Amino acid sequence: MGRYLIRRTLFLILVLFIVSIITFVVFVKLPAQDPALRAAGRSPTPQLIATIREKFGLDRPLYVQYSRFARGLVPWPGLFLDEEVYFSYTNHVAVREEIYSRVPVSATLTFGAAVIWLAVGIPIGIVSAIKPRSLFDRAGMIFALIGVSAPVFWLGLLSLYVFWFKLGWLPGSGIPPDETIPQAVLAGRFILPWGVLALAFAAFYSRMVRGNLIETMSEDYIRTARAKGISENRVIFKHGLRASLTPVVTMLGLDLGILLGGAVITETVFNLPGLGQYAIRSLLNSDFPAIMGVTLFASFCIVVGNLLVDVAYAFLDPRVRYT
Amino acid sequence: MRGYLKVLAVVAVLALVGAACGGDDDGGGATGSTATGGTGGEITPGGTFKAAMLSDVTAGFDPQKEYYAVAWAFYRCCLARTLMSYDPNDPDSTHLVPDLAAAAPEISPDGLTWVFTIKDGITFGPPYEDVEITAQDFIRAFERMGTPEVAASYYFYYLDTESQGGVVGFSDFYNGDADSIEGLVAVDDKTLEIHLNRPAGDFGYRVAMPATAPIPEGASENHVDDYGRFLVSSGPYMFEGSEQITDDTPAPGYEPGKSITLVRNPSWDPATDEIRKAYVDQIDVAIGGTAEDNQNKVDAGELDVEYDGIPPAEAIRRYSTDPELQDRLFVNSSDGVRFLWMNLAVPPFDDVAVRRAVNYAIDRDGLRRLRGGETVGDIATHMIIPSLEAGALEGYDPFPSPNHAGDIDAAKLEMANSKYDTDGDGVCDAPECENVQFVTDEASPYAEQAALVQDNLEPLGITLDVKAFERSTMYNKYFNPKEHVPFGGGAGWFKDYADAYTFVYPLFYGPNILDAGNTNYPMLGADADQLDKYGYTEEFGVTEVPSIDEQAEACFALVVPEERTTCFAEVDRILSEEIAAYVPYLFDNDVTIISERTQNYVYSGFDSLMALDQVALANGGA
Repeated sequence: MGRYLIRRTLFLILVLFIVSIITFVVFVKLPAQDPALRAAGRSPTPQLIATIREKFGLDRPLYVQYSRFARGLVPWPGLFLDEEVYFSYTNHVAVREEIYSRVPVSATLTFGAAVIWLAVGIPIGIVSAIKPRSLFDRAGMIFALIGVSAPVFWLGLLSLYVFWFKLGWLPGSGIPPDETIPQAVLAGRFILPWGVLALAFAAFYSRMVRGNLIETMSEDYIRTARAKGISENRVIFKHGLRASLTPVVTMLGLDLGILLGGAVITETVFNLPGLGQYAIRSLLNSDFPAIMGVTLFASFCIVVGNLLVDVAYAFLDPRVRYT
Repeated sequence: MRGYLKVLAVVAVLALVGAACGGDDDGGGATGSTATGGTGGEITPGGTFKAAMLSDVTAGFDPQKEYYAVAWAFYRCCLARTLMSYDPNDPDSTHLVPDLAAAAPEISPDGLTWVFTIKDGITFGPPYEDVEITAQDFIRAFERMGTPEVAASYYFYYLDTESQGGVVGFSDFYNGDADSIEGLVAVDDKTLEIHLNRPAGDFGYRVAMPATAPIPEGASENHVDDYGRFLVSSGPYMFEGSEQITDDTPAPGYEPGKSITLVRNPSWDPATDEIRKAYVDQIDVAIGGTAEDNQNKVDAGELDVEYDGIPPAEAIRRYSTDPELQDRLFVNSSDGVRFLWMNLAVPPFDDVAVRRAVNYAIDRDGLRRLRGGETVGDIATHMIIPSLEAGALEGYDPFPSPNHAGDIDAAKLEMANSKYDTDGDGVCDAPECENVQFVTDEASPYAEQAALVQDNLEPLGITLDVKAFERSTMYNKYFNPKEHVPFGGGAGWFKDYADAYTFVYPLFYGPNILDAGNTNYPMLGADADQLDKYGYTEEFGVTEVPSIDEQAEACFALVVPEERTTCFAEVDRILSEEIAAYVPYLFDNDVTIISERTQNYVYSGFDSLMALDQVALANGGA
């Protein structure tokens, strides 16, 4: 297990290294706008652009330029997202400060929505699987189709219109500046975003659980279990579901990682100041240090999520052993 | 000469009015209120005014960097008083009035020395509440603006050059050839003397710009990049928690990209401020979200105004047609023009006949309709906004057509004179007219407008290769003269202050063609060296383009407002008719919808936005 974790951690570093190089090349060497120009303000003179190039090291060899950014990726105090380099060209705030202040919002949105989509998606998937072609199964299929087909931005605006504007049951978008995240949660400000974000995922997860469970229930070992006289519930939940949940865990790890890096549309529609909102703003402003920081943070979340998934396999699937 | 100088002294400052009128009540044809209004009744001070913005300000609230009307609106109303300013309640709200200056400046007979006396007893906001504002604090602001590392946005207005009246020594300071700006002299704590290299009729406006607002010693020195969050207020409001500001701790009241919270500045004394009413106790601004959601909040009374965008078309229709809602809709000229532009150094637009043909062919009304119709503004037939020309070109339309829908017959007559129409049939038959690159914004309505322009030009034999980009990418292409963009469709320009100089110098003046950040998109007035430097000579063989530099310089030097506006109007006429490098199509409007409880809506002509220092809430927001 220890060797496996070390190997996976090294792999994680390799992935982040590759992502950082790609991000660097795309946004610094092939940018929509010269980073020095972006930082030089509205009316730069050639002298000012030259000064900024020197200040940012943009006049240095490529590997030197990259190393400035790469240093900021080392997860060590003082180095990680170093303010000297990771400093927004647009609003002149340290990227680290922005990310740290926005992670709690994205995390609250992600984990809250995950609880809902698992609590809704898995039971629907199970019932649909054990009663295929039943009315419930067909209803579940319709739910899944709606959930997967409805665009999040449309669903978000619609839910705000209905539940906040028309019915007044739930708060509208945004978190007031004087409200902490726990206060916002208690005030119900996350209910609509959770619901909207969870719907699409719940639909997908229910279809996945249904398909996996139907397939698993036709396996030989399930027939054997039934032949041994084990109760149907035990067959389904202990033998069938456990095996069919393995891909769900895989997806969950990746989905959590992706969403922690920013649920761009949900955060925009519901005006939640999370990483997704920050990412989209940075992209629109060609704010390279912010793009680099948020991209790498999102990549970090995804690869860590993936690692945790692999570790979790050992507990779910006895066939998986770490070497 | 003497009489002339007398006129200069008397009128050049406060009566710069003549050049102005930016905040006029140009209703743009929509049903709705203009200029002032809101829920009636007694005004009771107090309450929290709630606003929303779709985007943050653009440079972290740094007064030297911000080149954005919304940021300027916050400075003017609330955070950064200047020597001169504007009273939104004045029917001509671009009329300059003394603000931190005790009176209008004394101007020397030669127009080169401006002496400002600063009001007594005004201190900065926390944490500098014990520091009185002095002449040196203004010099500090000018020096910060002239420090290249700060990357200030409009320092160029203060450069002393051969063609521009600026502050003596500002250019040397900017270029690192001097340690201080020679032309700024603190005679004593309360007297600031500004020396110009040559008379500048619009200099009064330039000392009303937010970048010239005073900065106390010690406040900005360690914040070359990020002074915005450490901003020390001189106005009626300040960022919440400003008293906590230290070198490392910004004011918590401004969370970039998230929110702005303004509270009363305890240092502000209404007795020293004849402009600002500051009725509300607090101004909360949420940043982000969508226009539709924000409008729903205004409808529901959860929000008082959406401050930085145009309300959704559905809301504009509803508020302009419902008698009960009409008094909450305000339509004002935002003193901007939207236009297409043609590069004079790229064929086929190096031929004036082609440019004139294009001007005739374009369906200006169609372009406006695609933006939302009459409410969004008046049809533009020339480039400089009418308020900066005192209406001198009212009714002027060098390329008339029925309902401004384009006149293809007239266009063909022009095209027949072109070297690119060899058989003279009014249709371009040269390869230069095929697949002309048209660079525009990918967002609505620009993509739809591009399709209309394609249709309009097809009968002339001009076919377009539309390249639509994300907005900042599009502007990066426009800003770079080496990109050789032939035809642009997504541009607009808004006044910086109430003088046509803010159009002519950045947009049309040859010496202002820059390597980067160039806003003279058509290369107007580029000399042979510039055309060679940017590759036009090599690629297209173009060595000469039209210029209005001579006429522009004559206008720059004028100081009598009436002469100045007349001069600039003539420049505009030459530009529109004889050079025809632009196809202006819209004089833009600002459209605002306020909440039911909002009182005393006043439009600020300086920034073309609702004046937050005048707004009040019904029953004090109780």
